[in-house]
Amino acid sequence: MSLFSWLELIASGLITGGIYALVALGLNLQYGLMRILNIAHGEFLMLGAYLTWMAHTTLGISPLLMVPVSFLALMALGLVIHKLCFRRLTVTSPNLDIFEARGLMVAFGLMFLVQNFASFMWGGDLRGYDYLAEPVKMGEAQFAGNKLLVFGLALLFSGALIALLRFTLLGKGVRALMQSPTGAQLVGIDTQRLHPLMFGIGLGLSGVAGCLLSMAYTITPSMGEPYTVTALIVITLGGFGSMSGALAGGLLLGVVEALGMHFTNPSLKALLSYSVFIAVLLLRPRGLFAK
Amino acid sequence: MKDKQILVRDLLLLLAFAGWALALPHYGSEFVVSMALTCLMYVALSSSWGLFCGSTRYLSLATSAFFGIGAYTSAIALEKMAWLESIALGAGIATVVAVVMGAAVLHLRGTYFAVLTFGMTELIRHAVTYFEKKVTGTVGRVLTVVPDRDTIYLTVLALAVLAVLVSIIVRRSRFGLALMGIGADEQRAQTLGVNTRLIKVAGFAMTAAFAGAVGAAMAVRWTYIDPHTVFNPFIGFQTVLIALIGGAMTLWGPLIAAIVFSVLAETLRLQAPQVYMMSLGLLLILSVLYLPGGLASLRWATFSGWWRDSRGWARGLSRKERKNG
Repeated sequence: MSLFSWLELIASGLITGGIYALVALGLNLQYGLMRILNIAHGEFLMLGAYLTWMAHTTLGISPLLMVPVSFLALMALGLVIHKLCFRRLTVTSPNLDIFEARGLMVAFGLMFLVQNFASFMWGGDLRGYDYLAEPVKMGEAQFAGNKLLVFGLALLFSGALIALLRFTLLGKGVRALMQSPTGAQLVGIDTQRLHPLMFGIGLGLSGVAGCLLSMAYTITPSMGEPYTVTALIVITLGGFGSMSGALAGGLLLGVVEALGMHFTNPSLKALLSYSVFIAVLLLRPRGLFAK
Repeated sequence: MKDKQILVRDLLLLLAFAGWALALPHYGSEFVVSMALTCLMYVALSSSWGLFCGSTRYLSLATSAFFGIGAYTSAIALEKMAWLESIALGAGIATVVAVVMGAAVLHLRGTYFAVLTFGMTELIRHAVTYFEKKVTGTVGRVLTVVPDRDTIYLTVLALAVLAVLVSIIVRRSRFGLALMGIGADEQRAQTLGVNTRLIKVAGFAMTAAFAGAVGAAMAVRWTYIDPHTVFNPFIGFQTVLIALIGGAMTLWGPLIAAIVFSVLAETLRLQAPQVYMMSLGLLLILSVLYLPGGLASLRWATFSGWWRDSRGWARGLSRKERKNG
């Protein structure tokens, strides 16, 4: 194999990896911060994708314009869901373990609800639209324009979120909440407001991811589950709650998958990612980059 | 009630249920019998799930893995072996897999455990698919040697009765107490001299044996199986759902919930599959929020509690209105 084809392989892996990192952002916030393992994450991503698809095919709105719209729509939905379900759960659960188990169950319920709502509304067919589908030449290599755009925006959003958490007062509060909920309350952080807000932002981010994914891939009501699993793998790789870890983990997973598929064969892709996932959970449950 | 009276009551109830289920094929229509079969399958699956996962609070999502392993085993073994032998083999292989899996993952608690068992199920499903594609050449398998309907029904009924019976017995044994102890406080149980590792692996293997046997018995019912249907994660989810909605800690909860669910499933699923799944989701959320102990924990006090809550809520609303107005 020449140096050039190595580079091309790694570049394509990095692009997929960037998309993985984007998919994981929202879930990472929800699980890392609030211990809500939102297994319905992929379903909300699918809602964002359908929202974009509908707006683009019926109203002709540019998918790029739908990025903030789907963020706000899903954030509103997240606030409502938090108010209806998770607030009561926080009050009634005797300890964090039980809260986690019950939260997981509620998320399972949401998964059934949202997924079947979508297939009820839009049917089970594959949908999609063309947007920037022509290839872009970079030197000798060619990449699909929409995937490059999604990759760029994925890096932008991850970077923005990392910066937000690291440099602003809000981010400081959120990080405090991640480290110790009780401690955060003691120093005057309003957890009652921060919790719903962060859950909403997490859902909003999954809406953004769905919106961006619909530019490059076809969508169906059952597309959510593989993305949920990918997101889970990425946040385990990076360590729960660590944004920069998730970005690195996503990129790494993309490269590993691209290389693995090239050297073995494509039908091993799922097997490969699940093996990585289980190996990391068993050997380094706190993430690859934990000290 | 005294301890012995409860035992007698439980055994009598089980006998009544078993007798009813035994008589059903003689007067029920084809549709009713098929519904009863699904119901019995979920009784066996969720009772045995509750036996380990309910009392220790280890949330396993691996039921569909053991179910699928059992189904594949009987599909392969039935060509050469007798009916009961292939079911026993299915249960045996599922048990072996559970022991290996349990030894690897049972030191992790809570969400880690749930996610890991789910990941392993998917790994097994993809591995079987890959193996079938590469080695056998086809993905699905057609079962040619199939026992008649009554044999399948009786086998699944026997498994369901056995699952409940084992639950009754284990609950009164040292082993059951150890499981409960792990659920209440694992470290304390360890300090008090319980070999938690051994107990957990044994409990997990027991659940797996039932799931494997049920999978082996149900495979012939479908006559055609492929990894996508028998390793369907939905089988695992629904087992967990039934156990939780019924009350995973209780003996009769899973059974009641399984009956409710099969009736709901058969009546709704054909006309409006999405509505069925949506109501399933909604039921799950509502039961976790308002009835965390499950259907079996429903008492008159629960209703009056809800009534009090809603009155308090209405009072709060009117107070707010008065303040604004």
